[in-house]
Amino acid sequence: MLEPVSVGLKFGFLIVLYLFLLWVAWSALRDLRRGRGGVVQADQLRASDATGMYDAAAGLADPQEGFEPRLLVERAGGHEAGIAYDLMNGATLGRGDVEIRLDDPFASSRHARISREGHVVVIEDLGSTNGTYLNEQPLTGPQPLHSGDRIRIGDCEFSYLQ
Amino acid sequence: MSARNRELLGLVPASLLVTAGFAGVFIQRSNALSNVSLTYGAIFLGLCVAGHVFIRMTLPYADPYMFPLVALLASFGIVMIYRIDSTLARQQAQWFVLGLVLFAITIVAFRDYRKLERYRYLIMLCSLGLLVLPRLPGIGYQANGAYLGIRIPGLFVFQPAEFAKIGLVIFLASYLRDTRQVLVMGARRILGITLPPIKHFGPVVVIWGVAMVILVVLRDIGSSLMFYGGLLAVLYVATSRLSFVVVGLVAFALGAWYLGTHIAHVHARVEDWLHPFNSRLYHAQLGSYQIANGIFAQAAGGMFGQGFGESVLTIPGGGPLLPAPQTDMIYAVITDELGLFGAAAVLITYLLFVARGFKTALLARDSFSTLMTAGLTSVFALQVFVIVGGVTRVIPLTGVTLPFISYGGSSIVANFVLLALMLLVSDRARRPA
Repeated sequence: MLEPVSVGLKFGFLIVLYLFLLWVAWSALRDLRRGRGGVVQADQLRASDATGMYDAAAGLADPQEGFEPRLLVERAGGHEAGIAYDLMNGATLGRGDVEIRLDDPFASSRHARISREGHVVVIEDLGSTNGTYLNEQPLTGPQPLHSGDRIRIGDCEFSYLQ
Repeated sequence: MSARNRELLGLVPASLLVTAGFAGVFIQRSNALSNVSLTYGAIFLGLCVAGHVFIRMTLPYADPYMFPLVALLASFGIVMIYRIDSTLARQQAQWFVLGLVLFAITIVAFRDYRKLERYRYLIMLCSLGLLVLPRLPGIGYQANGAYLGIRIPGLFVFQPAEFAKIGLVIFLASYLRDTRQVLVMGARRILGITLPPIKHFGPVVVIWGVAMVILVVLRDIGSSLMFYGGLLAVLYVATSRLSFVVVGLVAFALGAWYLGTHIAHVHARVEDWLHPFNSRLYHAQLGSYQIANGIFAQAAGGMFGQGFGESVLTIPGGGPLLPAPQTDMIYAVITDELGLFGAAAVLITYLLFVARGFKTALLARDSFSTLMTAGLTSVFALQVFVIVGGVTRVIPLTGVTLPFISYGGSSIVANFVLLALMLLVSDRARRPA
């Protein structure tokens, strides 16, 4: 008497199961298509925000257009290659509790600092043990950065873009 | 839709499945549809929602699919165990609640899970200690020739390997985070094989050597495959040197060959695996009876299975037709009752969970998190492989549990801790800066 109900339940169970799995798989696929998920999007968002705020604060809308200093990860432990960090407010690199954390045995806890003054972005070594290399030359004092410059700390490599 | 709302939505199918499953079992049992099945579904949904609300409060950015996938697996487990033995299902439900509690405790206590790194040697020693426990006289007990668990009389039976796997992965992740560059850069080539420097690689070899010896002493080959695979996975993720994996696999193959030919208990398992339908082995004590009947059960399932509660688990005159259906052979019972489609769905669920795990490992921003998540995911995946492979006769059958589905307190609790760690990493990785 209850046979059809039983069979119906079994197939109902399988259908719900597969619909659920399809939903998860589809969402995962959409995640992949969208790029790299939450993290990088957040970084990009932050970059555009910062630019907007800077524009407003400086009140010099015209010359600031398109000036977007950023640090592109070429290869660095703990960072995905290809993502870029916004340098509008400068950043400190190192192994300790700093803006850009480097997972590298050759990095000091506060290794190097990048700061911005107007349209000039400057990098300086913070007295690190193993040095900071700008285009494979060891840094001695603060140096201005130009688009395309390569920065190396231990095994981590970045390039500067603006 | 926000991540947390998606997670909540994902719990609905899991509870529907519990309801449908229990309804199916009830119909078969008493030939009457009872509203008790709805109650079970509602209680299950309530528990999952409690877990969800907790995640919503503590880990708002964590991966939204892991928890529903686990709920789905657990609902499968509860239904199947209920169908096998209703008292075991009640116990399993209690373990599920305890697992959720421990899940919450882990999240609160290890909010900054990176502090685990500070205790890595302590964690390693505890894990090794846990592995030894089952061999101690008085509390250890033997099942089918392997020393799997410890028994505190009158209280509970406990399988320490389930917890040891988490501890050893944490140790390895934290150790290799510091030494991986040295391992790669200090490597020398000898006879065309790249070997890592002994000074830094030594500790890894020693730890794993000890773990392997213990496992040989305990004669639990399934767990040793799981641990060893986990080690190689973390090592590969840390160094991206395929040669380490190849050397490791060759070493494992040699060890397995030695065990298979020289240790009687393991040798018997291999023989059972190769010739399950041989009538001498089939009728032998602890012979291939279980594995052969597992195969028959799966074959009886066909495409869509026989339906809930329809499979035959005991011989009419008494005695089990399928020994250990609630633990080792639960996959065979699922295949019997839900057929190829049901079994494939279980495997897809595991696959999706593992995919989420590796995705989390990729998103993690520091290498300890990456290594730990990749390691935990690999160990989890290998555990599924070892038991499903054993039941389907891909590899010799050994007694590990099917995570979140099999009956067993330590298994479900330990896997909830594993889930908590993965969600913690995921929350940190996906949090907008």
